Amino acid sequence: MTGILSTSNGFAGTDPRDAGTGPQGAPAPAGRWRHWVRRHRTLAAGAAVVAAALALAVGTQLAPKGDSVPLSVSNAGPDGAKALGVILRQHGVDVHTPERLEGALAVLRQGSTLLLYDRNGVLDGPQLEALMERADRVVVVTPRLNTLTALDSGIRQAGVVPEAFPVLEPGCILPEAEAAGQVTGAGSFVYDGGTTCYRPGGSAAGLLATSADGRITVVGSTAVLGNDKLDEAGNAALALRLLGSSPDLVWYLPTLQDVAADGGGTSLDDLAPDWARFLGPWLLVVAAAAIAWRGRRNGPLVFEPLPVVVKAVETAEGRARLYHDSHAIGQARDNLRAGLLTRLAGSLGLGPGATAAETIAAAAAVLGRDAAGIAALVNEHPQTEARLVAWSQALDNLEKEVTTQ
Amino acid sequence: MAVSGRFVALVALGLLPVLLFPGWPTVLAVGAVLLVLLCTDVLLAGTPRQVEVLRAEPANVTLNNMAEAVLTIRNNGNRRLQGTLRDGWQPSAGAQNPVQAIDVPAGESRRLAILLRPVRRGDLKTPHVTFRSFGPLGVAARQRTIGCPGSLRVLPPFHSRRHLPSKLRQLRELDGKAAVQIRGAGTEFDSLRDYVRGDDVRSIDWRATARRSAVVVRTWRPERDRRVVMVLDTSRTSAGRIGDETRLDTGMEAALLLGVLAERGGDRVDLVAFDRRVRARAGSAGQGNLLGRLVQAMAPLEPELIEMDWPALPAQVRAVSPHRSLVVLLTTLDGGAPEEGLLPAAERLASQHSVVVAAVRDPQLGTMLRERDDATGVYRAAAAERALLQRAAVTAELRRRGVEVVDAEPHQLPPRLADMYIKLKAAGRL
Repeated sequence: MTGILSTSNGFAGTDPRDAGTGPQGAPAPAGRWRHWVRRHRTLAAGAAVVAAALALAVGTQLAPKGDSVPLSVSNAGPDGAKALGVILRQHGVDVHTPERLEGALAVLRQGSTLLLYDRNGVLDGPQLEALMERADRVVVVTPRLNTLTALDSGIRQAGVVPEAFPVLEPGCILPEAEAAGQVTGAGSFVYDGGTTCYRPGGSAAGLLATSADGRITVVGSTAVLGNDKLDEAGNAALALRLLGSSPDLVWYLPTLQDVAADGGGTSLDDLAPDWARFLGPWLLVVAAAAIAWRGRRNGPLVFEPLPVVVKAVETAEGRARLYHDSHAIGQARDNLRAGLLTRLAGSLGLGPGATAAETIAAAAAVLGRDAAGIAALVNEHPQTEARLVAWSQALDNLEKEVTTQ
Repeated sequence: MAVSGRFVALVALGLLPVLLFPGWPTVLAVGAVLLVLLCTDVLLAGTPRQVEVLRAEPANVTLNNMAEAVLTIRNNGNRRLQGTLRDGWQPSAGAQNPVQAIDVPAGESRRLAILLRPVRRGDLKTPHVTFRSFGPLGVAARQRTIGCPGSLRVLPPFHSRRHLPSKLRQLRELDGKAAVQIRGAGTEFDSLRDYVRGDDVRSIDWRATARRSAVVVRTWRPERDRRVVMVLDTSRTSAGRIGDETRLDTGMEAALLLGVLAERGGDRVDLVAFDRRVRARAGSAGQGNLLGRLVQAMAPLEPELIEMDWPALPAQVRAVSPHRSLVVLLTTLDGGAPEEGLLPAAERLASQHSVVVAAVRDPQLGTMLRERDDATGVYRAAAAERALLQRAAVTAELRRRGVEVVDAEPHQLPPRLADMYIKLKAAGRL
C-alpha cells in the first residue's frame, strides 16, 4: 500500500513539501488530502455543493412532518382532532393513543371508553370482538357496513343527512344529546337501530345511535369531533360528553398494519383447472423454439466496406451558415458584387481585366440606362439583412436583364 | 445446429397432450420425445464436414448488370446432404438467391448458380459458404460454414459511351480536312485528291495538278501516335459527391470516353490513378483492347482519405511518358489550397507537356446562387458565389500558365473533355 502511495505521489511530484513528509515518501493523510483539494479546487467545490444539496434534500425528506391522519389527536389540521384531545386532557381525561391493535388492547381497562374510527374498515370480526370485550364503552365514528355487522349491536347504516339539514336538533332523551343541543349535520351519515338522536326530517335514523345496552355509541359525523367545526353549535358539548364521561379514553385509529395476517378465501390458482398451470410455461417453450428457429443466423455476418462519400457542396453550405451566424452582411455583399461583376464582364465580352466601372458602363450601355444609377445599385453597402435581401434580388434582376439583352 | 419451423410446430403440438393430461409426467414425456426427435434428426443428417465446394470465378460485369456465380458442391460423405446453402456475398453484390435448397446424394456433386446484380463498383467479395444439413425428418439441422472466398469484379458502367459515336464522327471529320483550316505545327500530309467545290484554293497542289489534267488538292490528316496521359486524382477531394456520383466516378467516365476516343484517333493512351502513390495504371502498351484494360484498372479504385502529393506528380507523368504528351488531370479546382498544390504542378507539367485540367462543377452551387428569397438564401448565395469565384480565380490562373481547363457539370464533363481533345488535336497541339 505504501509503495503504491509513494508511486502515485512520485507521479504528482509538484509540491516540494510532499516529498519531505516522510522517510518513505508517503505523506501524512491530512497533508495528502489538503494537497488533493488544492490540486482539484473546482472538483472539490463541485463535490461540496453536491454534498450540501444532497444533505438538504435528504434532510427535508426525513424531517418529521405534521400528522395528517384524519381525527388524529396530534393532527392540528381542519380534519384532525387535536383540539378535542387537548380539551379532554385539560379536564383530567387520560387520552391514550395506541398505534396498533395490540397497544389498544393493552391500555384498555375496566371503565375505559374506546373511540374507534376505522375509516378503511381494516378490522375484522375477531379483532372487533376482542376490543369490545376489553372496552366498557365504545364510541364508533362513521363505521362501515362490515364494522357494524361485526359489532352486532343492532345498529345499521341508513344513508346520509340530506343537504337541507345543516344543523340537527337532538330530539331524543339521551342526556348527552339533550345537553349539547344542535350539532352540525352537513356531510354526515345517519344510522338506524337502538336509540337514535339527531334525526333529520323526522326519519327513524339519526346521526347519533346508541345500542340498547348503551355500550356502543355510533356517531355518524367526523365534523362533530374535528378541529374545524368543534366550536360550532353544540359539537364540542356532544363530543366532550360522549368521550369525557370516563377518566380513561383510548383513542384508537386502526391502520393498514392492523389487517389480520391470514389471507383466507380461495386464490385464482385454486380455481383454475389443472392444465392452466402448464399452459404458460409450455407456450414459453414454444416461443423459445421459435426464437431458436428464426434467430439462428445462416452463417456469419459479411462485411460491407462502405466507401467514403462527402457531399461536395457541404463546404459552401458550411460557409453560408457561418455567414448567417455572424451576420456577415459586408462579406456577403462583397461576394455577391464580385460574382455579379465577373459574370457581367464575361457576358458583355469584356476581358478578365475589366474594372468594375468599365463593366458597369458597358452594362448601362447595353441596357440603355444611366450608368450612375446602376453604379449606385452595384456599389451600395446594405446595412441590414432585409436590405441585403432586397439588394441581392435587385442585382439578380440586373444580371438577368443584361443577359437577356 | 439449427432447428426448423417443423420443430416449432411439433413443440406447439406437444401442448395438446400436456393440456389433456396435465401433470409433470406428461410434460417430461413430451419433452423427452421432442428431444429424441431432435437428436435423431441431427445424428442422421448428412455431414457438411465432408463437403467440397468449388467456386467458378464469375466473369467481370459492369455495374447494374447481372452476373452468375457458380458453385459446385461435392458430397464426399456417406449420407445424403439435404438442406440449404447460403453463399455469403456482401450486400452490395446484390445476390438475388443467396439461400438455395440443395439435395446432393452421397458421392455425387451438384451445380448451383447464384444470380448477382451488383450495385457498387469494385471487387465484391464472398468469404464463405454456409451449409445447413437437415435430417430425414426435417426437424433439425447441422450447420457449418466453409471458407470459400470468391470475388466479382464490377467494372465502371461507362455511361458516357453514348457520346462516343458523335465524337468519333467529329474525329473522322478532322481526317481529310483542308489544310488551311487546321494548319498548324503538327499536321501531317496525308494524300492528294481531286479538287471539289468548296476546297480552299490555297490547298491546291500545283505541281500535282500540272502532272494531271484535273486540279488536285493536298489533304492533311491530324497528327498521330501522340501520347495522352490521363491522371486520375484519387485523393480525399475525389470522395466529394456531386449529383449522384463521386468526383472519382465522374472522372472515370470522362477518362474512359477520352481514352477510347484517343485510341481511335491513333494516339497512345495511358492512365495513372494517383494520390500519394500509384493506385492503378493502364495503357495502350499492354495486350488486349484498351477499354478492357482501363475498366479493369479502374474497377477497384476508391477515394483515399489522404492529400494529393502534387509535387510528386510530374515525376509520375515522366515515368509514364518521357516525351511531350497531352496530360489530362482529372481533379478538382476547389481543393484546400490549389496555389500550393495544383497550380505549381500544372505549371511544371505545362513546361514540357500540353496540360488539360478537367474538373467537375457542382450544379448545386448554381441553384444556391439563384435562391435569394430570404437572409438564409442570400448568405447561401454569397457562399456559393465565393466558391465559384475561387474556382474562376484558379481557372484564370491555370489558363495564364498555359493550361487548358475543362470545368463542367458531371454529365457534361466527359463530352466536354472529348471536345477539348478534338480541339487540341485539330490545332495540332498534342
